[in-house]
Amino acid sequence: MNQPSEIADRDGPYLKIRNVTKRFGDFVALQDVNLDIRRGEFISFLGPSGCGKTTLLRAISGLDVQSAGSIEQDGRDISNLPVNQRDFGIVFQSYALFPNLKIKDNVGYGLVSAGKSRTEIKSRVAELLTMVGLADQAEKYPSQLSGGQQQRVSLARALALSPGLLLLDEPLSALDARVRARLRGEIRELQQRLGITTVMVTHDQEEALTMSDRIVVMSKGKIEQIGTPDEVYRSPASPFVADFIGRMNFIPGTLVSGTSADCKGAVLSFTTALTYVQGTPITICLRPEDIVVRDIASSSNAVDVEVGVMEFMGNHFATTLHVSGTHLNVSADLSMNDVRDLSIRPGSKVKAGLPADRLRVFSTT
Amino acid sequence: MSTAALEEPWATSSDRGAVAPVRQRMSRDDLTMRIVLLLLTGWLVITVLLPLGALLIKSFEGADGSFVGLSNFALFFANPSLTQSISNSLTIAIVSTIICVLLSFVFAYGLMRTCMPGRGIFRLISQVPLLAPSLLPAISLVYLFGNQGFAKSVMFGYSIYGPIGIVIGEVFWTFPHALIIMVTALSISDARLYEAASALKASPWRTFWTVTIPGARYGLISATFVVFTLVVTDFGVPKVIGGQYNVLATDIYKQVIGQQNFRMGAVVGLLLLLPAVFSFAIDQWVQRKQSAAMSSRAVAYEPKPDFVVDTAFLVICGLIATAILVVIFTALFASLATLWPYNLTPSFKNYDFDNMDGGGWQSFYNSLRVASLTAVFGTAIVFAGAYLMEKTRGFGAGRFVFQFLALLPLAVPGIVLGLGYIFFFNSTANPFNFIYGTTTILVVCTIAHFYSVAHLTAVTALKQIDQEIEVVSSSLRVPFYRTFFLVTLPVSLPAVLDIAMYLFVNALTTVSAVVFIYSSQTTLASIAVLNMDDAGDVAPAAAMAMTIFLAATFVRVVYTVLVRGVLGRTQAWRRR
Ligand SMILES: Nc1ncnc2c1ncn2[C@@H]1O[C@H](COP(=O)(O)OP(=O)(O)O)[C@@H](O)[C@H]1O
Ligand SMILES: [Mg+2]
Repeated sequence: MNQPSEIADRDGPYLKIRNVTKRFGDFVALQDVNLDIRRGEFISFLGPSGCGKTTLLRAISGLDVQSAGSIEQDGRDISNLPVNQRDFGIVFQSYALFPNLKIKDNVGYGLVSAGKSRTEIKSRVAELLTMVGLADQAEKYPSQLSGGQQQRVSLARALALSPGLLLLDEPLSALDARVRARLRGEIRELQQRLGITTVMVTHDQEEALTMSDRIVVMSKGKIEQIGTPDEVYRSPASPFVADFIGRMNFIPGTLVSGTSADCKGAVLSFTTALTYVQGTPITICLRPEDIVVRDIASSSNAVDVEVGVMEFMGNHFATTLHVSGTHLNVSADLSMNDVRDLSIRPGSKVKAGLPADRLRVFSTT
Repeated sequence: MSTAALEEPWATSSDRGAVAPVRQRMSRDDLTMRIVLLLLTGWLVITVLLPLGALLIKSFEGADGSFVGLSNFALFFANPSLTQSISNSLTIAIVSTIICVLLSFVFAYGLMRTCMPGRGIFRLISQVPLLAPSLLPAISLVYLFGNQGFAKSVMFGYSIYGPIGIVIGEVFWTFPHALIIMVTALSISDARLYEAASALKASPWRTFWTVTIPGARYGLISATFVVFTLVVTDFGVPKVIGGQYNVLATDIYKQVIGQQNFRMGAVVGLLLLLPAVFSFAIDQWVQRKQSAAMSSRAVAYEPKPDFVVDTAFLVICGLIATAILVVIFTALFASLATLWPYNLTPSFKNYDFDNMDGGGWQSFYNSLRVASLTAVFGTAIVFAGAYLMEKTRGFGAGRFVFQFLALLPLAVPGIVLGLGYIFFFNSTANPFNFIYGTTTILVVCTIAHFYSVAHLTAVTALKQIDQEIEVVSSSLRVPFYRTFFLVTLPVSLPAVLDIAMYLFVNALTTVSAVVFIYSSQTTLASIAVLNMDDAGDVAPAAAMAMTIFLAATFVRVVYTVLVRGVLGRTQAWRRR
């Protein structure tokens, strides 16, 4: 990514969300949400079902305005504007195509009301359909297309009026896995080509990790972390994020110094120093794939382990390692090469490293 | 955990002042929709709520128009012949309900849970009574079992004029209503429960009582109350065949038309409102329970052929269907006979309405006119109202009030509504007084009378359309009415036509509401049946009832054929 913070400094954020709270009766669906989205950025709202992602998207679109707080788009306060005075295109999981209109009429739907001439509309529709690779489907009805094709039509329709903001609510969730993977790439490519600021709601971490410039991880109506896919994966800001994205070992322990803790008998050291007093209960997070069994660096916590049951996962083995002389068990992913070269099998005794710079430590209180 | 947010530079304390609630500005669409919805609410207030209010006020008024509290009610309960009607009405309703619900359950079971042959035909025949006024079965019964009836001997000396005749007529007339409910109830059952039961080696008898009946219990409850209400408030059947046996519905008629005692009519009207309101409340409750009971993962039950069961149901359903057809054909033959039962030579003498009392053929043309106007304007109003109620953004209170008013007619018997119309529109203080005695008031009243079912049909159809379509439209800055005419209406066309058909047929066959508000220029066919029967011209009455039935059937058939053709051509997009 090319220095987005500089762009942000120069232009100011494109979308500025401040203290947005949404209540449904007594239930707080969004609590004091703050977020800046830069021009041209692809942002994903990621979180478990019911955490408020759609609610935030609906506030941005004006479909269901926030109870309090403000939203600015391109320097304009849009907090209380009705939907049709805002500037966005939207795509839903259900496609929401007009079932009785042909594909070309679906795509040209907004252009007619915008007072464009027939020829203008015709050429714009053709351009949009070509853009999503459906130029030859213009005369068909939605029900004659596959799910993936319908979603592309819906995308073309949303982009017809060249909106400043594209909103996608679980756009790929209704599609089967292979179509989903292909459309992921297509949407991202299109977004980058048009440079359109995009917000996508998803509960699928893979989708968020592969498509976004930045991910907003949400839980229970609050933002847990904002960061690039790499940041939220490598340095989750909370145990929630650590747990939600990827697989994770949660190792309970107590601090013995600022940079080490006793975990069920194994003393593990880590690089980020904590200021808590000795004896503070903490949780150490470690991804199974970060555990190494050869070329163990001196900065790693090297331990003797006994290999438990090994599950073949296709490109690696998932296994549990028991740290000898302690009560500590950790899940580890071992590469095919390591398993073959070191002849690892259930019951093998090997050396393993839990790299200090890969341990994320959170106070348990 | 807001540590992530706190790291952002802009989250300074000065920024955190904005706690004022956000109110969205209304767009022009929002404003238009609210205004039209309010206008339609006003329409329902005038055509439903205020007439009921007038009825209520009337029941508390003395002869001079002063407020007399409950003294009219006291008068009513002091009159033994009137209170006798209460127990008569209840007796008739309870007996008819038990018979009708049992028969409709068996019939529906045959249709939904067995492989008996001819299910399509049986289903068609079961709906036939809907196409005739409730007077028709009563007239047929007179011909079958009356003083000169050809099957009089099977009555063993009992008279058909009275409770027996009323019960048979009511069961005939309410049967299709109960059947629709039972079919729905039996269609939503989970095949997995039956598989579980047979895996547990439960006997068919036990499975029936532990799986089938509990599964259909809401349908049974709902049908029971619907039939009960229909019977208590129907006045066509007892009017024709009740003889000296008085019930509440005929009492209203006698008090108002016979004795011009409007206040007593209002009192009886309010009493008739009670079972209707009660059954309405029960039905709402049942609907909620029933939709909750249907999980989306339920597997539809597929009956398997079973010779004994299928044959048994074929016999039972065949008997019921035959009974329905016998009633219809009796009226047909009686109307075509020169002088039943002495001279059975066919003739159209009884169809020579112009030389009889009752308004002549003109009343039939009036009926067609009222039915057409009701279908056209009623459908437009109902669909527009349902659309705005579903799609207007915000405005929760307004939409709630509209919904309430739209469902209110479901709880108001026609006869009560008609009476309210007299009180409300006949008052010279009412600016709408000028429609009194015109075709307009008949159309307005009929739309109001049948509003709820049409409204629910429209709402159901609208709910089946992707809710996000409107959102997309407004994000494309397309005005709502454009999307309404371009997408919503075409997509809902089958439901729209169904509503029009429903209103048309009911307007053609109804007697209860309009009997109070027709004038000598606007007599209707169904009322002509009533009046001719009253005057002793039973054969012409049968002929007019048959004319209505044939017209309704004709329109229904043409409609079915047309709809197939038109929808086939204009709705190409429905095909995959
Ligand atoms: N109109 C509504 N009325 C009441 N509660 C709602 C409404 N819309 C959403 N909610 C609640 O708000 C929470 C967040 O919903 P949503 O934003 O749709 O979640 P998701 O993150 O899955 O998109 C959920 O608990 C949901 O039940
Ligand atoms: Mg959602």
